Amino acid sequence: MASLAAPAGTLRPRFPNISLKRLGDALAHGYVWVWLVIFALPFLATLAYSLRTADGVWTLSAYQYVLGSFKENLLLSLQTTVLTIIINLIIAIPAAYAIVRHPLPGKSFILSALNLSLYTPAAVMGVSLVIAYAFLFRIPQTMIGLIAAYVVGTFPLMLVPVIVALRDLPLVFEEAARTLGATRMQTFWRVEIPLLGPGISAGILLTFVIIFNEFLVTLFIAGPSTTTAALRVYNLTRTAGFQPSTAALATTMQLISFVVVLLFFRLFGSRYLKGTYLI
Amino acid sequence: MTHAPAEVAIEYEIADAQVSKPLASPRLRGGLLLAPAVVVAILFSIIPLGYLLQVSLTQDSSFFFTVEYTGENYREVFTRYRSAIAETVYLAAASSILDLIFGYPFAYILIRKVRYRELVRTMMTFPLFGPLYLAFGLFYILLPNGPLGPIFTMLGIDIAKYLFSQAAVLFSMAVFTFPFMVMNIGAALSNVDPMLEEAAKTLGAKPWQTFTRILFPLSWSGIIAGLLLCFGWNLGVFAQPQLLGSPKEQSVLSIQMFTKGLVQFNYGLAAALGVVLMVMAFAVTWISLRFSRGALGA
Repeated sequence: MASLAAPAGTLRPRFPNISLKRLGDALAHGYVWVWLVIFALPFLATLAYSLRTADGVWTLSAYQYVLGSFKENLLLSLQTTVLTIIINLIIAIPAAYAIVRHPLPGKSFILSALNLSLYTPAAVMGVSLVIAYAFLFRIPQTMIGLIAAYVVGTFPLMLVPVIVALRDLPLVFEEAARTLGATRMQTFWRVEIPLLGPGISAGILLTFVIIFNEFLVTLFIAGPSTTTAALRVYNLTRTAGFQPSTAALATTMQLISFVVVLLFFRLFGSRYLKGTYLI
Repeated sequence: MTHAPAEVAIEYEIADAQVSKPLASPRLRGGLLLAPAVVVAILFSIIPLGYLLQVSLTQDSSFFFTVEYTGENYREVFTRYRSAIAETVYLAAASSILDLIFGYPFAYILIRKVRYRELVRTMMTFPLFGPLYLAFGLFYILLPNGPLGPIFTMLGIDIAKYLFSQAAVLFSMAVFTFPFMVMNIGAALSNVDPMLEEAAKTLGAKPWQTFTRILFPLSWSGIIAGLLLCFGWNLGVFAQPQLLGSPKEQSVLSIQMFTKGLVQFNYGLAAALGVVLMVMAFAVTWISLRFSRGALGA
């Protein structure tokens, strides 16, 4: 009888002793917190390493390189990321539209073919692109090759949230706008794009987080003049060992990514990312 | 009910508008809208992968001049690189199982007890910034004079011996894919009514029986989907063995491909290794899509 009074979902009739239940709950929450610490620990360790010299003095001096010799790499990363996002938008929104709203033969086959690069391991994509660029397309190692690789690797990530958002969007809004005399373009820009906003921005966030931190495909196809910041981190750990300056760059990259994620969650919440790569 | 005639009227008007336009076959318009995406996918995904397949069947740069096909690369992959394939599969499988063991309780607690889910989701994005930073941070933690050194000494753990070990590689791989596992199991568990568990308990089931008879069968699809997703991701592992592993872990296929292709310029062999890895990854994805039907279900 006493157990009936306990809050639903947590009651344990077999253990009428309330303190035992409390202990179980405390352990459960403790377990979650241990994992939260584990998630943040590598970042915190990198941050601590970037702030200390070999003599144990705390200093910000390692960060002078971030705005010094790493500035080019950071700028290249931002540039490629922004360009990739723009091209992804231009490609993915019409494609999502066609897949949801238009009758097309072999739709599921087309969708699988478009998603193919999503399931290809990054190293396989890297090696296939480096061979194809060098011997088939004869493209030199410039930013264009890099961006093409990023676009093909991430536009499915833009496609999926927009398809999900479009499926949830009832046709009545579109129809109402058309009945009230809006042209097709007006309907698209003034009615549908605002309603699809969260889905589109989820795609933008996914693309940003992945491309900004991508180093593996880049490692295969980048030339000497197209070293992105994430690739620079990798290269430096291979050649220079573990330096505070490398840690400073890695910390900066993660901080930028984290701030973008926090901003997104503040603006849109996390529900638009369901069923995609970020929870 | 009163809305129905109005809706019908709208449908007619839209239909009329479409009919009145010339060249407006919806199928053609759909094709045009889809065209850029298809062109990009063909140019930079399908053609390169097809070319990879072709190069994998050639030796000594013959793909560039007169193409002579040979299965020699594959013979080498399945003899000399058999242990590399085994190591790749072993690491991916072991880390996915670790994810399941530690991720199931995590997902259960998250769904049933935790109110601060937004915080958990935010923190879970850290591993997703990439295995590179993860491995970098762990490397520093595992150094003999690392930041957590005093704590490990107090606990009597010699942490430095785990640097360049299988344990460190597996741990970092498991942490990287942990969110994917939690996401899949959490999605399955959130569809399980808590009343079922309570009913089982009221009827005298022990916690263990509640798990094996109620929770486990009902979250089975999430477990399979999570395992396959983690396994598929970890098949392509590169950064963690490279930074934290011993030479044995560094024999995984991704690293071998980089060494053969971009250091030794043996493109045929690198391509063959790539094709083998690709086939494994696609097989895993195909099975997992069969199981989960994906977010799209198209």
